[in-house]
Amino acid sequence: MPTDRNRRMIELVRVGRTYTRADGQRVNAVDDVSLIVPEGEFVCLIGPSGCGKSTLLQMVAGLDAPSSGAIVVDGKEIAGPGRERGMVFQRDSVFPWLRVVDNVEYGLKCRGVASGERREIARDYLRRVSLSHVEQAWPRELSGGMLKRVAIAAVFANGGEVLLLDEPFGALDYVTRHQLQDVLLDLWEEPGRAVPTVLFVTHDVDEALTLADRIIAMRAGAIIDDIPVRAARPRDTDSLLLPDMVAIKHKLLGHLGLEHRAAALRGGAAA
Amino acid sequence: MAASAKAMTKAALSQDAPSSSWLTAATRTLAALDPLRLAGAVLFIALWQAASAVVLPIILPGPFSVLQRAAADFWSAPALSYYGVEDPSLFANLLYTAENVAIAVLLGSAIGITLGLLSARIWFVRAAIDPIMMTAGTVPILIAAPFLLIWFGVGRASAVSLVAFYVVVILYVSAQRAALNLDPIYENSALTLGAGKRQMLRDILIPATVPEILGGFRIALAGSWGLEAVAELLGSQSGIGKILEVLAGATDPQGILATLLVLGTAAILADALAAAFIARFAAWNFAAR
Repeated sequence: MPTDRNRRMIELVRVGRTYTRADGQRVNAVDDVSLIVPEGEFVCLIGPSGCGKSTLLQMVAGLDAPSSGAIVVDGKEIAGPGRERGMVFQRDSVFPWLRVVDNVEYGLKCRGVASGERREIARDYLRRVSLSHVEQAWPRELSGGMLKRVAIAAVFANGGEVLLLDEPFGALDYVTRHQLQDVLLDLWEEPGRAVPTVLFVTHDVDEALTLADRIIAMRAGAIIDDIPVRAARPRDTDSLLLPDMVAIKHKLLGHLGLEHRAAALRGGAAA
Repeated sequence: MAASAKAMTKAALSQDAPSSSWLTAATRTLAALDPLRLAGAVLFIALWQAASAVVLPIILPGPFSVLQRAAADFWSAPALSYYGVEDPSLFANLLYTAENVAIAVLLGSAIGITLGLLSARIWFVRAAIDPIMMTAGTVPILIAAPFLLIWFGVGRASAVSLVAFYVVVILYVSAQRAALNLDPIYENSALTLGAGKRQMLRDILIPATVPEILGGFRIALAGSWGLEAVAELLGSQSGIGKILEVLAGATDPQGILATLLVLGTAAILADALAAAFIARFAAWNFAAR
């Protein structure tokens, strides 16, 4: 099925989430957020810590329910988690009691895919994330970066149309983070299948600029900016120096409360 | 000539290989036995031997006479039949005790683990059962023995139910704690991968809690031997406890120590078996350690 950019894949309609803190005070973690994401778009959610971006993602995953409003995915209002919305977490979520290959095929197993067929699919995705050699290893024998690859392979093998990533590379080192961004983009752009729609939560401006078609900035539970990123793919370190990209970066730093950094950057560019 | 000499050296070398692997196997066995623990045991036996040389044998028989007595009475101890022991040998009575321990541990684990896992995920199960288990955990269970004797008589049932109850309490607590401590990320991840209710239980909750539960199982198993023996001591027609009661009545410390030696050996073997089983069953938890 080809990707249809006019098809609304994720639709948030006036979504709100209110918590009551232990001291009795009510907190609006997400406040009246509306958003439409067409099929195949790579959207990065960025904002300072506590701005509600993770809560929003949890609600789209169905792991948390909105206090008000509705979340519609592919034309159906969601009521709980579902396999069409795969999720990659920041912390290690790979099941320690299953071998690597069994982890990758777990979603397929839940759906009753025959064991030979799902093993084949799992091996294919393990190859794509360069982990064929540890197929039979236990997760505790793998490094943090390798575990992330397993989690990504598991989500893609499960074939969801929507991918939700909650600061997936936030705890990784510089080199591993960039390698995994490439792994993710390769799988996302894989020819021969509909391009998955992605919501990617991050606090890293450069990461958002490298990955996204569109960047949504949040603050205090609300969307404060919605910026398209038109730079050609694949993007490298030089792409981030394009005037358009630098302008977006200034804006985002401002949204994150780091205006003084943006000013220094502008001074440097002028020199 | 030279070629055949070369071939012979080669043969000698290849013969060397198995002997060196035998050596590493021996080293490994020694390491597993732990020389320090072995030294402790040797010291204990030496002190025992020294003490028994000073004290009268009727008070403290020597370790070797106890070992001889255990070997002699293992398959047949006719003297016991005078005291009304049905099957007069240590082996037959050990078997009776072991059977009761096995029944109680299996029954108690099944109930304890089920209730413990349920209590961790369903609030009203926890609200209903927690107080009972916590009370049972603080009161020594042995004091229920006379009551159980009234209910079930001196057969298997009274001792088994006592031990089973003890096992239920221990495994309830360890299963509940394991499930409560389980990082919710695994259940969340399984949900987003499309796992249903049954799969969540079978593929996530049970395997994730197995190592901690099996740890509780080992503690329960170890305690069960002693509890079963004491329950038999208080009222039973057979079993290691019954023999201990009879020998105490006959003022036979050598027999008592021999019986304890047999019981202790059985308990240690059962524990080693359980440990090996756990290492196999929860391999993921031990990999790369």
